[in-house]
Amino acid sequence: MSKLGNIPVQAKSEKKRTNPLARVFDELIQFCQSRSMFMLHYCTGCGAIELPPAMTSRFDMERLGIQPMVTPRQADILLVTGYVSVKTLKRVILTYEQMQSPKYVIGICSCTVNGGMYWQSYATAKVLNEYLPVDVYIAGCMPRPEAVIMGLRRLMSNIENGKGNAWKDYYERYDYYLGNQQHLFGDDWQTPVDVIGEAKFYDLEGEETYGEHTRTLEQHQEPLEAAVMRVKL
Amino acid sequence: MSVLDEVFILCALGALVLFVFHRIRGIEKLAVVFYAALLYLLIKMSGLGYGGEVIYSSFSLNILGETLQWRFDAVSWFFAIITVASGLFSAVFMSGKWGESYREKTSNAAYGTLQIALLLNVNSMLILLASGDLLSLFIGWELVSWASFMMMALNPDKQARQAAIKYIVYAMAGAMAFLAAMAYVYGITGSLQYAELAQASAALSNGQIILLSLLFFTGFAIKMGLIPFHLWQAVAYAETPAPGAVFLGAISARMGLYAIIVVLIQLIGLGHLQQIHIPFTFWNLQTVLAWVGALTTIIPTYIALKQNDARHLLAWHGVGQGGYMLLGLMTLNSLGSAGGLLHVFNYATYQAALFMTIGAVIYRTGTANFDKLGGLVTQMPLTFMVMVFSIIGLAGLPPMNGFVSKWMVYRSLLLDGEPLLFVAAVIGTLGTILSVYKLVHNTFLGQLRVEHQNVREAPLSLLIPMLVLAAIMFVTGMMPGLVLDWVASAQLAMGLVPVTYNLGGIVLASGGLDMIWITLILFYGLGVGAIIFYLLGGRAKRVHQYDNYAGGHFLTSRVRYHYSHNFYAGLMHLIGGWYRGSFKKLEQAIVSLVSLLSQLSENMYRSAQPAMMVIIVVVLSLWSISGGIN
Amino acid sequence: MASFNSISELLAQLLFMPMLAFLLGLVMVLMYRKIAARLQRRIGPPFFQPVYDIVKLYSKDTQISHGLIHDIGIVVAVGGYVAAVILLPVPGMDGIADKGGIITLSYFLMIPSLGMALGVGQCANPNGSIGISRALTAMLAYDIPFIIVVFGVALHYQSTSLVGMIDYQQAHQWGIFEMPLLAAAGLFALQGMMGKHPFEIYVAPAEIATGPMVEMSGKFMGGLFVMQSFQFYVASVLYTSLFLGGGANWFEFLLKIFFVVEIPMSISFLFPRYRTEDMVRIMWKWPVMLALIGIAFVI
Repeated sequence: MSKLGNIPVQAKSEKKRTNPLARVFDELIQFCQSRSMFMLHYCTGCGAIELPPAMTSRFDMERLGIQPMVTPRQADILLVTGYVSVKTLKRVILTYEQMQSPKYVIGICSCTVNGGMYWQSYATAKVLNEYLPVDVYIAGCMPRPEAVIMGLRRLMSNIENGKGNAWKDYYERYDYYLGNQQHLFGDDWQTPVDVIGEAKFYDLEGEETYGEHTRTLEQHQEPLEAAVMRVKL
Repeated sequence: MSVLDEVFILCALGALVLFVFHRIRGIEKLAVVFYAALLYLLIKMSGLGYGGEVIYSSFSLNILGETLQWRFDAVSWFFAIITVASGLFSAVFMSGKWGESYREKTSNAAYGTLQIALLLNVNSMLILLASGDLLSLFIGWELVSWASFMMMALNPDKQARQAAIKYIVYAMAGAMAFLAAMAYVYGITGSLQYAELAQASAALSNGQIILLSLLFFTGFAIKMGLIPFHLWQAVAYAETPAPGAVFLGAISARMGLYAIIVVLIQLIGLGHLQQIHIPFTFWNLQTVLAWVGALTTIIPTYIALKQNDARHLLAWHGVGQGGYMLLGLMTLNSLGSAGGLLHVFNYATYQAALFMTIGAVIYRTGTANFDKLGGLVTQMPLTFMVMVFSIIGLAGLPPMNGFVSKWMVYRSLLLDGEPLLFVAAVIGTLGTILSVYKLVHNTFLGQLRVEHQNVREAPLSLLIPMLVLAAIMFVTGMMPGLVLDWVASAQLAMGLVPVTYNLGGIVLASGGLDMIWITLILFYGLGVGAIIFYLLGGRAKRVHQYDNYAGGHFLTSRVRYHYSHNFYAGLMHLIGGWYRGSFKKLEQAIVSLVSLLSQLSENMYRSAQPAMMVIIVVVLSLWSISGGIN
Repeated sequence: MASFNSISELLAQLLFMPMLAFLLGLVMVLMYRKIAARLQRRIGPPFFQPVYDIVKLYSKDTQISHGLIHDIGIVVAVGGYVAAVILLPVPGMDGIADKGGIITLSYFLMIPSLGMALGVGQCANPNGSIGISRALTAMLAYDIPFIIVVFGVALHYQSTSLVGMIDYQQAHQWGIFEMPLLAAAGLFALQGMMGKHPFEIYVAPAEIATGPMVEMSGKFMGGLFVMQSFQFYVASVLYTSLFLGGGANWFEFLLKIFFVVEIPMSISFLFPRYRTEDMVRIMWKWPVMLALIGIAFVI
């Protein structure tokens, strides 16, 4: 297990599946996932201005199967396009948690990498991947549409090769991310999304899913169980 | 002794027993047994539904040289079986938990009175349906009016009382019109027997027929709530206690349709309706009546769309659906009139079920106000299911029974080449779809309110009649031939050509309907859809209702995130201005006029100026002595 | 043996007609996106893009459901169309078109929408509810001209059976030449029925976050994509059967349905969106007027 930044990169399981069809389908699915990406652009800063040219006739992202979507439920990629203030970050995290896996985060502009020109700001979250698992950063202030498309293509090839798995890290090391979030927002931080419940339900728990921060969360968390439809006479 | 006699004896016995013992607990079980026995007797007469002979009651009365007699033909039997079945379902509905809670809220006596009211309604309707001449029809008519009034007046709420009073005023006006028509008939024929009127009507002049039809029709239209007499019904029915609303909503107003069938179609005759042209127009009497039906489908349906209380919404639909029945009947061809009659049955099944679901919701939550409900589907899934079945029926979509009858009406309008009536019927249906979605969305879907998180499913005594009705809706939707047997017999009795049908639907050379196939194909499609959904996709986690997209906003129980008020805002931007309340204003104007006149005459009568009085009396008497009118 | 043959034939049709409809619908979705791209001077998606989208959506690892009705809503939305296309005759396959006819079909087509409406309702998202309220209003708007057109056509052919109508047209001449006004009104209503610009008020992405689709993820969204391809197919085949004489053979049939569906697709990117009440107003005015005049000619 090597590390890329603070995201551990898991080597792909060497064990080949016995059923040849399973492998065919896996590859087909990975291929389709890489060729069909719905993106949700969370336009936090100036980087957003570079997306319209990337989508429209000059560069035409739809060639690559990338098209904008409106709600996090439908989207695969979260584009965070610029500096993230503490207040914004809460919404970014909620939006990310409401997206459905496999989901990818792309940080556009230097601000998402290290705070950029807001380095000294007390109200800006500087390193995005402390709070969310970021798949690809596109540095620049601002990156040109060509660069944005480069970044998207990088993500595509990652997905196609089965390497776009950062989203699993959020479940497996939820305690780490939650700790950073609590550090910023206070101990009573919680979103209406039941990440731990999801990790349990989809069997995505890792060693660091639980920890001291999730215990803090449990202490004050409002219950998030879905209302069950049952006939109680 | 004929079976009809047994029915009447049972009715009398039932009324007597219930009247004496109505305060006793357990009377509700006896009532259920009573309706079941009544239903059994009707089933014994079921030969009528399959082309049997008319059954006469063995007793008759002689009053002032008029013979009053009672009999059941296929039409009466068709209506009677719906009536008694509705009574049975309402009785079961109120026999269990609902009755207990009603007792607690009011008293034993009040609950007993509700039972008596229901029983009197059923009995008086049977008497009306069995009537064999105009006088007994009138007696039955009055009994039904007062029995309904008794039912409506049980709710002590002010609005309900006002509605009940309004109803009885309307009903009296209708009865006066009926009475006038009877007097006119007596004047012409010297008898009140059906046969004599039928004979005499052949020789009547057009003017006489129009006057007669108008008087009769006014009387019957008021009961049915047809345009322009639609204002009384919805509020009165909606505010009645739930089982009463179930019964009244399902069948009560259809007595008007029965009377229209008996008098206008059987007695005055089809030929007349078609021959008589309204002066200065292209219309004949039949077209006018059909348009009354068409307008009744549209206007009340769109009034329903504006309602903010589930009961009122349903009751307004009840008025609107009456329009389809009249419209179908007034096509006067075999297919359309069968559709109209079939709709009476179908409508009774889903309207009863709908009022029951709302009764159950009120039983559990205490309200039917759309602004105070929402998201109940997880708490009351079976009630929701019944409501979905019923709204599919009400909206007239396959595979429920409502579709079949509406299809028959559309198809016959198509065969007749009546584009405007057809469009009117479709506009009514579309409006129904809109408002039933509003109904189901605002009660059962959307966000569950915090105060309803511990609401439970309706108790079994409420659920059983609902579920049985839902099953009937589905089965008669898939196999309409079951009911079309009865309808065809009724058509024969009315003197119409019966519709050609089979178990699955309608047989027509140029495109018929086969509901068995349609239902099977629908279920095949749903099966494929389920396979695609459940086998091709991964697992889906159920999430909490606050885990919801709100543009990044954090949802909590403090802020309600739900859309129910002014549900069709966009549409209302356009048509909102058309709700001018013209009929209400007209009603108010008539009320003011009547009260002005009565005040004038009262003032005159009690006036402190006897001289004035004397002068008027003298002038009037002189005028009449000197020849007066002649 | 004849009955056995007809049964096996019917079973084959039950299987093939929905599959065919789905595949053709996918091509139509591609066409829609390609036309959009070309009108905006873009290249547009690759040929298999609709397939990629659907496979991706169905293969999502996690997805949310707001409850059983949410699930059933999608089942009905897809299943209703699967059933509806069996009532639509295509060359060589009549399915069970003779059991229903055009009136049944027009009401049958409301079942998927109603199913979806119920499913969306359980999502407890007001954006979705607003979307449904607008969608039903839109239905009220376009169904009135559509139903007048249906009436006129059925009156003209003296039949409500689609098979009968197609036979008549192939024996005489296409409906569009005999009833040009009704055909024009039908095309107008078709634009609304497809739910695309300028009548896509109930989706309105920037305003109510795609309305009914707001809480749809993974296979739920995938179901709606499948439904969309059925929608294109049904709209085009219905119009072709009513006015363009169906298809004597597959080549002619495909040519016609793609031609029909291309017209509203091209129009859709030329206009901005109408408000709900404006849509109702325009639908109740022009196509209704055209259709009523058309009916007057038919009678």
